Amino acid sequence: MAADRSTAELELFLAERADHLLRTAALLAGGREAGEDLLQTAVERLLRRWRRFDGDPEGYLRRTLCNLAIDDRRRAGRWRQKERLLRTDLRLARDPAGEVDLRDALVRLLLQLPARQRAALVLRFWEQLTDAEAAAVLGCAEGTVRSAVSRGLARMRELADEWNDTAAMSGREEERS
Amino acid sequence: MITDVEELLREGMERYTADLRAPAGLTYQVTRRRRRRLAWRSLTGGAAALAAGAAAVAVMLPGAGGPRVSAADAAYVVKNVSNALSAADPGTIAQMTITTTGGPGGVTSAEEWSNGNEWRSVTYSSPGHPLYDEGYNPAAGYTLVSYPTKTWARQAGVGQPAAPALGDSSATRDCGPGLGGFPVLFRLGLPGTSTSTSSLPTTVANALHTAVSCGSLSVAGRQTVDGTDAIELKSRAGSLISETIWVSPSTYLPVRVIVRSSYARTIQQTADFTWLPPTTQNQAKLTVPVPAGFRKVSLPQAIAPNLKRIPGGAVPRPTFSPAGPAPFGRGLSVPRPAALCFTVRRAAC
Repeated sequence: MAADRSTAELELFLAERADHLLRTAALLAGGREAGEDLLQTAVERLLRRWRRFDGDPEGYLRRTLCNLAIDDRRRAGRWRQKERLLRTDLRLARDPAGEVDLRDALVRLLLQLPARQRAALVLRFWEQLTDAEAAAVLGCAEGTVRSAVSRGLARMRELADEWNDTAAMSGREEERS
Repeated sequence: MITDVEELLREGMERYTADLRAPAGLTYQVTRRRRRRLAWRSLTGGAAALAAGAAAVAVMLPGAGGPRVSAADAAYVVKNVSNALSAADPGTIAQMTITTTGGPGGVTSAEEWSNGNEWRSVTYSSPGHPLYDEGYNPAAGYTLVSYPTKTWARQAGVGQPAAPALGDSSATRDCGPGLGGFPVLFRLGLPGTSTSTSSLPTTVANALHTAVSCGSLSVAGRQTVDGTDAIELKSRAGSLISETIWVSPSTYLPVRVIVRSSYARTIQQTADFTWLPPTTQNQAKLTVPVPAGFRKVSLPQAIAPNLKRIPGGAVPRPTFSPAGPAPFGRGLSVPRPAALCFTVRRAAC
């Protein structure tokens, strides 16, 4: 049986890892405030069972963050408008000068993907987990993670190509003028 | 063509979250949130929710006469105090009024201000006349105005606060007497001698850290201090020095500290804190004004008469040592008076 763990121990852990977890939460939830709320809810769940908690708190929090984010998004159902919104945003924000804006655009796209797809991408490329580890966190098969990542990346490659084509076109127009 | 979408995505996520920092005192915030929710349920829900609310209230900071709280609860509060102090520095100017009663000099008082590495301390005599006005800022160095001798001095490289950085575990967790950073909340050093580097938020935060990690402070309840329903932290019975600290429940910044010596019960120091916004007017409080007609002297000349004014008995005599700390560039070491140390259990001072 696990020994009682003190709250101070949890605080110590959070002092070290809360910033990173908040960043994960913000990516999963799609914003700072939503991320903070998500993290607080996850920490609350951990706190409730902390004294007898026997395991990796970071893994537990990561799993809880993903589950909460997926549940929240499922309830909200906001992801359906993703592609239309994305294309509008891209045209407004495109800057042929560099990749910085493309990075921002990729994140904007990420934030509008369906929750499970987004969680898979965050776990794979932000948390840098393997497919198997991400599958364990999401409670699904490895194949599901792979296909979610693949679909997400395919959409992002489309975006990058589109971005690149537009940049090339702008470059040619500038040369002509 | 851009092929490394994964890498760009990772960089994008890094940039998107780069400025995110978890709020201070996360567990305490979560506990409070849970308490609020449970309390709300208890108001609106049935008996089960009411029981849950009551259980949550049981782990809250107790009111006067409430249940005893564990060290973890004290740690919650002190962690928040530390975070608040850390956040307050360097933006906020800490103002502290210290009153000492029962000492050999009768009732004396001092006003102190600090902000980052800057500090200023004005010591008043029993009738309320200024004795010393001293302070430090990185540009000008240490300035001392001595009213009894109508002299003033200024020297670079002296008076810089030696408070350890927040989060320095060696400074915040050791309880033994052989430490460089004694767990002293205020009046570290002797007035008018360049050693009054007190009341810095970092010093206070580290002292609180030390006090709690040494098990010498616990949450005692709530009490109204200057109209604030403040959280009270008390030292354990049997400590050489008894201290009580009240912190604001909203900002977690200290509002009052009282320190008593257990073997000379008549001596008591009370410090009232005010946390000032960094306006031009408040910034000016950190500057030591030199009154017209005062004579400029060297720093040792300005300090020497002040050392003679320190009452004998209560304060050890200063000793010169080549290897000691060097406030003048030479080695002057001023031992800390026993009554000014606290939370050290045995033979610390």
